[in-house]
Amino acid sequence: MTRELVLAVWRALPWRAPAAGGILGLLIAGATRLSEGEPDPWLGLALLRTAALAYALGLAFLLDDPARHTTAAVPTRRALRTGLRLALVTPVTALWWTAVLFLVPSDMRPPAADVTLEAAAACTVTLAAAVAAIRLTDEPQPGPSVAAALLFTAVVAPLLLPHRWELIAWVGDPRWAAAHERWAWLLAGAVVALAAGLPEPVRRFQPVRRPRTRPQADGGLGA
Amino acid sequence: MSTVLQEAPTAQRTNRTGGAWAAVYALALFEARRLLTRIPMLLALAAYLAWIVWRTPGFEDGSPALQDADRNTQSGPLLIGLAVLLCANAAVLRSKRRDTERHFAVLVLEPWRRTAAHLLSVVPAALLAAVCVAGQFGWAALQSGSVGSGSPAELMVGPLTVLLSGAAGVLIARLIPSTLTAPMAIVLLFFFLLFFAGTVPAGDGERGLRWLVPVVTESTTNALPSDLIGRPAAWHALYLAGLALTLALLAVLAGGGRAWTLWGAVAGALALALTGGIAQTAALPATLTAARERATHTPEKDQTCVRRGGSTYCAFPEWTPRTDTWAGAVDHIKSLAGGTAHDRQFLVRQRIDATYGLAGDAAIETSTTPYQVTVGTAWGGNRVPEFSAAVAAVLVAGSEQKTNALCDGRMVTVMWLALSWQPDPMQSLRNVRLDDSVTGSAIVLSTTDPMQMTAGQTDVVRELLQKPHGSVAARVKAHWAELTAPKVTSAQAAELLGVAAPKGADKCGE
Repeated sequence: MTRELVLAVWRALPWRAPAAGGILGLLIAGATRLSEGEPDPWLGLALLRTAALAYALGLAFLLDDPARHTTAAVPTRRALRTGLRLALVTPVTALWWTAVLFLVPSDMRPPAADVTLEAAAACTVTLAAAVAAIRLTDEPQPGPSVAAALLFTAVVAPLLLPHRWELIAWVGDPRWAAAHERWAWLLAGAVVALAAGLPEPVRRFQPVRRPRTRPQADGGLGA
Repeated sequence: MSTVLQEAPTAQRTNRTGGAWAAVYALALFEARRLLTRIPMLLALAAYLAWIVWRTPGFEDGSPALQDADRNTQSGPLLIGLAVLLCANAAVLRSKRRDTERHFAVLVLEPWRRTAAHLLSVVPAALLAAVCVAGQFGWAALQSGSVGSGSPAELMVGPLTVLLSGAAGVLIARLIPSTLTAPMAIVLLFFFLLFFAGTVPAGDGERGLRWLVPVVTESTTNALPSDLIGRPAAWHALYLAGLALTLALLAVLAGGGRAWTLWGAVAGALALALTGGIAQTAALPATLTAARERATHTPEKDQTCVRRGGSTYCAFPEWTPRTDTWAGAVDHIKSLAGGTAHDRQFLVRQRIDATYGLAGDAAIETSTTPYQVTVGTAWGGNRVPEFSAAVAAVLVAGSEQKTNALCDGRMVTVMWLALSWQPDPMQSLRNVRLDDSVTGSAIVLSTTDPMQMTAGQTDVVRELLQKPHGSVAARVKAHWAELTAPKVTSAQAAELLGVAAPKGADKCGE
């Protein structure tokens, strides 16, 4: 059954948003080849981060499903359907990121493993947020809200994060290694949150539980 | 069966003029209320208010120059602008996302009028930003140590960026009706800012293309007199206003407005933006360069002098309220000195290096005039012990030029004079030293050239500061002549002041 589902999920995937983010990311990374004069590793890192942000913003729309209220009734579990979407998009993402990394000239490229960690964490956090938005709300298309939240976090976090939780380190900074340890923790946390959010909740999320009403004998039809 | 007789309702016409515009205002009010209560908007507002509360009290060490405080209000509203861009964009696209566009199509309100209402709904957010900017600036202005004056054009930049981003959000939604576009546009904006920050060389001059971005920051924190700053603030505000108006009118055009007055208005707004944009990038006027030269090399021509307690204090007119504070520090140090130094008359002159305006960050040359002390434009925090160190060094050595060679036991007296009367002498010692240490040798910051302390002198000064103030003060007064004689060693000074002598000899430049 999974094999039949793959084709259907592949066709239903909202490709446009990740594709737009990916193309924008490729353009941004390609712009490093335009800069003249002394190669600037700072610019390389900044543009790689911007490219990763662009793609992550596209991924925010990945779990949008206009037919959500219809597909909720199918026997295939949501964890499987969402998991398939993620499984389909992961190899594409890996290919895309490799292309982006190779677009940046090698003398401007920051340590590839560490930047990949940052990009992976950003994408996973986005997907975890999208999964959480689907789990906690009834919205069929939470993409715009997730994208707005991600963008807001990306702008505010470097300004407001206290020194000991600093994530944004630049090449040559003594805090580079410590910052990437935090990125790794962030990635791990996001993966856990993503996995926890996948299954469909048994009952709707209620911040304050309402008192349960006793079912009436006649099924509430009245006399 | 009874028949119900119904009278046919008489048709009523409401023929008020401007009915469509009344609907536009009603929609604008509704959208404004919605815009201000969106979650990104509330978060941005909370972060902005937290930023104001966190940044303003410590700005320029609590003694702000208001010509800097006005510029300091500009970067916070960018956050509000970001939220407004996203939310206004989402608001315009709401009817498409919820598939209510068909219902709106039967209403009297044409799409371009709805666009206009969305544009008007941004105005309250900009007004809110203006209130926050006014609050931040007012807070700085009410601080007891504030001097100078702010520029309304600099203060308007914050609210204008909010208007600009709101107009951009509506325009983007009208041009490309997809919720994906606004976040991508912001990423693209980041890219351009990063790319041009990375490729356009820094120190490109004060004017030029860097003025085309909404908020233009300066690299230095040295305050200058208002008339020497030379930022084209009014032209920049005009540029921003013209740009916001152009984007807004283009959005109305993209919404389907086709009135000929609209085309005229677009042309007018574009002319405004171009006028401001071209005028702000023009070269610096020659009169400004001349005024900067005069203030740097012959400040006495611009300054007003006042006498306080036997000394003269010369400051640029905007800083004259601060002369009393300087006089307090000088009088404190003189009161601790003995012999003739007790009644020494100083000339405290404010000196700046304004040659490159706010783009330069040059040190001020030492003065050779006897008993003249230099004071900068900043005050509060570390500036107080730095100024005290300069005054004490000139009091002991005779002039700023001679303090460079101050490498012997006199340094002990200088540092004790400078620091012992501070509220927390040990903290001031830490602050006035470049490496924030209280042991070992270090550079001592001063208003002009820095001085040096050896490890031995540091030990003696630290011990002196920990002893009761009165007993040391009496010894300093009693042995003033010996303590301030050239060639006195730190060991001799320590002996005279009654603390353990340091082991090593005085050797600077180690």
